[in-house]
Amino acid sequence: MTVLVPRSLLAFERAAVDALTDDLDRGDRARVMAYVDGALAAMPEHIRAGVAVESLALGAWTRVTALAHWGRTASVDAEFLDRLDRSPVGPLRQHARLLRSLTLFARHEIAGDEAGA
Amino acid sequence: MTTLDTEVLVIGSGAGGATTAAVLTRAGRQVRVVEEGPAVAPGSVEPFSLEEMVAKYRHRGGSAALGAPPIAYAEGRCVGGSTEINSGLWHRLPAAMAEQWRRAHHIDEFTPEVLDRCADWAEREVTVSCVPDAPPRSSAVLADGAQRLGWHAVEVPRVVRYEQDGAAKQTMAATLLPRAVAAGAEILADCRVDRLVRRGRVVVAAECRRTDGTGERLTIRADQFVVCGGAIQSPALLQRSGIRRRIGTGLKVHPTIKVAARFPFALDHGDVPMHRITEFTPDLALGGSANRRGQVALALADASPEAATAMADWQGIGVYYAAIRSEGSGRVLALPGLAAPVVTYRLTEADMSRLARGLVHLGEALLAAGAVELHPSVIGGRVVHRAGDLVDWWPAVTRARANLMTVHLTSSIGMGEDARAGTDSFGAVRGFDNLRVNDASLLPDAPGINPQATIMAIAVRNAEQALSSW
Repeated sequence: MTVLVPRSLLAFERAAVDALTDDLDRGDRARVMAYVDGALAAMPEHIRAGVAVESLALGAWTRVTALAHWGRTASVDAEFLDRLDRSPVGPLRQHARLLRSLTLFARHEIAGDEAGA
Repeated sequence: MTTLDTEVLVIGSGAGGATTAAVLTRAGRQVRVVEEGPAVAPGSVEPFSLEEMVAKYRHRGGSAALGAPPIAYAEGRCVGGSTEINSGLWHRLPAAMAEQWRRAHHIDEFTPEVLDRCADWAEREVTVSCVPDAPPRSSAVLADGAQRLGWHAVEVPRVVRYEQDGAAKQTMAATLLPRAVAAGAEILADCRVDRLVRRGRVVVAAECRRTDGTGERLTIRADQFVVCGGAIQSPALLQRSGIRRRIGTGLKVHPTIKVAARFPFALDHGDVPMHRITEFTPDLALGGSANRRGQVALALADASPEAATAMADWQGIGVYYAAIRSEGSGRVLALPGLAAPVVTYRLTEADMSRLARGLVHLGEALLAAGAVELHPSVIGGRVVHRAGDLVDWWPAVTRARANLMTVHLTSSIGMGEDARAGTDSFGAVRGFDNLRVNDASLLPDAPGINPQATIMAIAVRNAEQALSSW
């Protein structure tokens, strides 16, 4: 038995990192994205698999809610991630916190003063 | 497939493995050390930086013990093991604790005198010293806060050599390993041991795979095998090799909860504080963490509404912790198909209460030292500006909201003559004639202090005993 894990960021994860770095320039943003990609890929397989399942479910959820509201596009923005942070469901909170932590650490280490507050 | 032969194969190059290799090579034994991670030249990457996480940390620091709450943990994965990434604080095992362990776990020849002699050896090998001048401000605030409250605090010596042009951490890659090589040892980096091959009571070989991108397979045959992969990797390797009895249970950690404290003055950010508040030890210790910009941002993130504002003044912010001795325990479980073991940890209600108490005491000390704003690592935790508000932290430290981590992992195999231990009193695995463990997994319990000195002292003792019995 081998646990299959994604080799690169899933769409939801990419969108989340984008949302948390939309104030950075293109180069820093790409470096942060690459760091988060590498960090998720390096995780123990069982943890990465759990994160990936949640990412797929959240990605599907954002699409379904967008379809249910004509005229709205599926969006993963800072507000959405804040809502996940406050979710009563533990794994969702931990998922949001993981993506936020990896992104925060990388943006402040990579972008320095440009990382802002 | 390449086949290598050696007299003693040491698996892992951290505090246990490097010490074992040094003792054995000096006694004239032919030793080969295998390390899963790469060799990283001492001083070539900045401590606690993103680059260091990539180069030296297992899973780039992204490991966690599953449980409620999960506990993030860090292990080194490079030549020198976790000594390359830790703070280097050096505490000898208190005599009273050694006595307690000896009695409770029936460990032969585990007296304070023996351990002190072995610790003397280790201290001669790795320079242990205090800062020669005034301590950095991020550290001094701990002593200052404790003094104002009438609490006891100490500067903990570190495995650091202070020189005119700076401080050089005396890791295993900088000290014992090169000396072992000079005495004849060989170190094979980028080499993971997948499993041990057994024939009855004897281990005959280690099946290995290069992790340098080539994927080359190696078989290393040896007369003696010493597993020194640390409290997670050692039991995982034994389990992958079909050795499971009493292996991987009883894992202990020091669960740690943090506070980001803003002071009305700039702090240093290049190193870790060396002071510790010891008023509540061994059950609870208060100290300081790495506080580079990235770590400050992380520590602020849990009290999210005010984090962005606080980060604007990040140079005045330090990251501090309360670490407890835990009543709870965990397991390490190697499962087929997974390269990494599943690690679980169960905190008791008393542990959660102790963490809350630690957080409040840490807040008291930091406010007494002049901090003007405290952000706890508790999701949605109240940002505190005065001591009277710390009471709000007590009910906030729940399983759902506390954000915990640890860098001290021990006791997943255990040693002694009682039924719970996976090895005898000197690390010999039960049921085998030539297989030993010699690392943090042997400690009977979490010591409540940084464990490197204890791991090294026990490794010296066990290596000497092995020499006398081979």
